[in-house]
Amino acid sequence: MDGLDLLKKDWNKQEVVSKLSAKDILPMLHKKSSSIVKLLFYISVAELFFWILVNSVPYFVSDTYRARLDTVYSDTLMIGLTIFGYAVILLFIYLLYTSYKSISVTDNAKRLMKSIIRTRKIIKYYVLYNLIMVGISMIIGVYYSFHTDPNAIEFLEKTGDKGMMILIAVTAVFTGVLILIIWLFYRLIYGLLLKRLNKNYKELKKLEV
Amino acid sequence: MKTETEQNFVEQLEKHQNIVHKVCRLYTNNYDAHNDLFQEITIQLWRAYPKFRGDSKFSTWMYRVALNTAITLYRKSKRTITTQDFDGVAFKMKSEDYDDTEEQQLKILYKAVHQLNDIEKALVFLYLEDKDYREISETMGISEVNARVKMNRIKKKLRTILNP
Repeated sequence: MDGLDLLKKDWNKQEVVSKLSAKDILPMLHKKSSSIVKLLFYISVAELFFWILVNSVPYFVSDTYRARLDTVYSDTLMIGLTIFGYAVILLFIYLLYTSYKSISVTDNAKRLMKSIIRTRKIIKYYVLYNLIMVGISMIIGVYYSFHTDPNAIEFLEKTGDKGMMILIAVTAVFTGVLILIIWLFYRLIYGLLLKRLNKNYKELKKLEV
Repeated sequence: MKTETEQNFVEQLEKHQNIVHKVCRLYTNNYDAHNDLFQEITIQLWRAYPKFRGDSKFSTWMYRVALNTAITLYRKSKRTITTQDFDGVAFKMKSEDYDDTEEQQLKILYKAVHQLNDIEKALVFLYLEDKDYREISETMGISEVNARVKMNRIKKKLRTILNP
């Protein structure tokens, strides 16, 4: 007899020894789910708030930062950038919402995996966008310091071009390392969370070749 | 107090629970993990229940949700790491129906199926449940031809395990 035929013969005869009663099943309906979609949702909300906080907390806690920003905000370019920043956040919230809505457990396996991966990608782009903004902010910050901060101006007058090069190099390295650490941390979280899903999705895709 | 919807759902699940148990049997290897997955599938079924229109059979609808939960949504909890040899924890074999060789072969086969990857297990499960290739392809989201090809490969693999 063929391997699977023998298995099939036995499979249909299987009997559950510990059958559950309606009484056992009912409480299960209200238990908390531990699905990856739920976890992904919590992480995305946390990331949204985290980056909003990172961008706004210094404004409220530091007087000098606020004073500096207030002078900077008189600039039309900065106002434009801020509006752009909020628009991007709103866009991400909208994209995440529609993406979560599209995840349906009654879809076929491949489509379900695809919609989860798409959601994860949106979060990935959100983080990437924020990391790029951190980089840009650093550059703008250094640029403004060169022109407005008396200490920086004095330092540059003393050291000349060499001093400027050092400042640029230190800022670039510091920003690069910071972005790299956040990116690696992020990759680790999602890598662990979606390891199995990615493996299964690849396996399904392989079947299409 | 349970609502009418809850009651209907629980009754249906109680009646067809064997499907969920079978999925759990394939994807877990100990008693705790089995119960954990059973619970997650129940939660997912219950959440999707408002969208269940009744135009397909409850059992058919269950296959999709149960498999999707097992291969995509389910996150193995810490409890599932504890290893305990899985051998008929929740099921019993009617050993009187088999001779010694067949019983031995069955044990090897179950062990071999357990070693397949998640997608292969899903295909085997649907095949064992007597689903045709159209339904298998619709559930998995692959073409019928590819489902057939993959199934043939799995059959070959299992044959080799049985007759090395």
